[in-house]
Amino acid sequence: MKRRRFFKTLAAVPAGSALLAQQPATNQSTPNQSAPGVPLNPTRGTQPPGSAAAEDLPKLEPTVPDGAADAMPRFFNSPQFTALQKVSDLIMPAMSGSPGALAAGAPEFLDFLIGDSDADRQRVYRAGLDGLNAESKKQFNKAFGDLDATQAAGLLTPLKQPWTYEEPGDAVARFLRVAKIDVRTATLNSREAGAGRRFQGSGLYWYPLD
Amino acid sequence: MAANEYDVLIIGSGASGGMAAHTLTQKGVKCLMLDAGPLVDFNRVRQTKQAYELPYHGFGEPGKLPHVVQANEFNANQWVDEKEVPYTHDPKMPFNWVRVRMIGGKSLFWARMSFRLSDYEFKAKDHDGFGENWPIDQAELAPFYSRVEPIFRVAGRTEGLKQLPDGVFEEDTTPWSESMNRFIGQAKKRDIPVTKMRRALGRGQFASSFNLLLPAAMETGNLTIVPNAVVRDLTVDKNTGRVNGANFVDRHSKREMHAKARVVVVGASCLESTRILLNSKIANSSGALGHYLHDQTYITQGVVAIDKSPKGNQGGGSGGYAPRFVNLKKGNEEDFIRGYAFDFNLAGTPDPKYIPAYGADLDKALADYRGKAASVTIMGEVLARYENFVSIDKNVVDAYGIPVLHFQCKYSDNESKMLKHAMNKFEELCQASDFETLAKHDQPWPPGYSIHELGTCRMGDDPKKSVLNKWNQSHDIKNLFVVDGSSFVTGGYQNPTMTILSLSMRASEYLMDQMKARAI
Repeated sequence: MKRRRFFKTLAAVPAGSALLAQQPATNQSTPNQSAPGVPLNPTRGTQPPGSAAAEDLPKLEPTVPDGAADAMPRFFNSPQFTALQKVSDLIMPAMSGSPGALAAGAPEFLDFLIGDSDADRQRVYRAGLDGLNAESKKQFNKAFGDLDATQAAGLLTPLKQPWTYEEPGDAVARFLRVAKIDVRTATLNSREAGAGRRFQGSGLYWYPLD
Repeated sequence: MAANEYDVLIIGSGASGGMAAHTLTQKGVKCLMLDAGPLVDFNRVRQTKQAYELPYHGFGEPGKLPHVVQANEFNANQWVDEKEVPYTHDPKMPFNWVRVRMIGGKSLFWARMSFRLSDYEFKAKDHDGFGENWPIDQAELAPFYSRVEPIFRVAGRTEGLKQLPDGVFEEDTTPWSESMNRFIGQAKKRDIPVTKMRRALGRGQFASSFNLLLPAAMETGNLTIVPNAVVRDLTVDKNTGRVNGANFVDRHSKREMHAKARVVVVGASCLESTRILLNSKIANSSGALGHYLHDQTYITQGVVAIDKSPKGNQGGGSGGYAPRFVNLKKGNEEDFIRGYAFDFNLAGTPDPKYIPAYGADLDKALADYRGKAASVTIMGEVLARYENFVSIDKNVVDAYGIPVLHFQCKYSDNESKMLKHAMNKFEELCQASDFETLAKHDQPWPPGYSIHELGTCRMGDDPKKSVLNKWNQSHDIKNLFVVDGSSFVTGGYQNPTMTILSLSMRASEYLMDQMKARAI
């Protein structure tokens, strides 16, 4: 499976770039043959396009960063991140053999995404996570991340309210509404979910236009 | 070096520019086409990828295309970069200007919905007193629609509706699903027609000028296309007062160039064409240039409802289209004028955001609702009002040094009342058809969302009130034509592409006749 994935990833390299990177060695005689005014091209080779030699070039199979390394969360503070992990686990638990948000690394990915987003989006997350911890402290005298499942579910009741076009006024409710979709998307689009029943994140990608 | 001089310079390669080239070149007219974007090799620029292979895992780069709701991380590169070609607007009046720059233009990506306008639109003022009539009517444009539709292979069901004239269809005889029959029964009781979607089938993967119009034009040997040519402005012969070409900037090198022609046909899309004319400071003796900006107002997922029947989605198609059914009689039947359409489906799966659950409960609800959800896009007519306009922002230029557009545009109470009516009517139909409402709202996307900008070079018989005459020809400059959606007087509720194509074909044939008669 892993090998197949690596192969697919290679196929994602744009044809133009791939060819450019795999040009045969420079022909030493080329500089002397250049016409006046034509810049020398050190990558220009001698094989005509489409030759047998070009077809035999090796196909390397790289992977994506998530396939080889761990994300380094750095946007949320420790209490916020712990709360995000807890709420992510509740929103997208592991089900029917499919990985949940924690196994998919959704909290770590969202730490990156929200950290790269505008101030409004960052405020929604930080205020919501702080609000969850504050309410948890008030009701149970412990952080949200330390609650048992029943206690934590009690603080997620806004997610059981009917949808309205207007955003909720309460910071926790507003955060939960956004997080419900973000955690779900981050999980379903993850590399870990790729092999599972829930996977949905593929599409026709457009490279930048020339 | 002496540059070529062409018979006709066509600016833009989308639906309108493509049709102008298609029509003119086949009659022997030598055309030069400039387009701001590249000629795309679709096999090279597109590739299936997994979301996790993208830097933002499918969420998209934050802030990259703030006005393009349609963009995602997969297709972000197909839209015009808002930093490269910016525009400005009052923060309280957002306008979502969604643009494509490549050979084929937006006709590469349109939703293919293919409708004719009726005299409820062409003669709207006669009906309810607001605005202006078009200088043409349905009968005058009908022969051109009839020639355009076979080129684009429009599928649809012949209905005989006055408010949605039939076309030359590849007749859609597919059956309806059980839930659609239930829904149609309730709609009939309320005099609401329901028909199959009218959609261009095209050829292969596109229904675009790229594959349906430009190849035939190229085959004549009479069309020269220059991609990556960003038009700055049109040039005018000081002696005759006529246009004689265009200044453009090469997109890659930023080199300034000039193209010469006897006639100029502008089809760069409604607002880019208007921007070119405004920057050229021509064709505006009426003062109407840039004004009367309108589109169609859209609500997506205005009502989401769940079918109570377990087998409603069986037996046939579950997607339908209900054209305008309000205000069809003289006088105002409602507390708003004009009308709207429903583009709907009764057998979808609801967006998880509408389901009041999370975790395993949400997954179970999604499984239970799969194939049972009704959802509707409401498409409403927007009144063409002078107060909604674009002008040149003298303080901002794009990456090519060309002054950009400033937008001043907002919807009125008429649109708000219309959309509330539409939401309530669709919910009424759903409930009467044994669906249970999951969510609803009557809040439209900002103006521009429908990607149907219209009206900023409107046509008319009176040169004091309009930019173009009924042949899409400038009142002020006889060898200048504008053939895109900017020529519309009213837009109705219908997607405009078939009308744009028909107007461009008609204008191009008139232009040819005028050139033959040496009147131009």
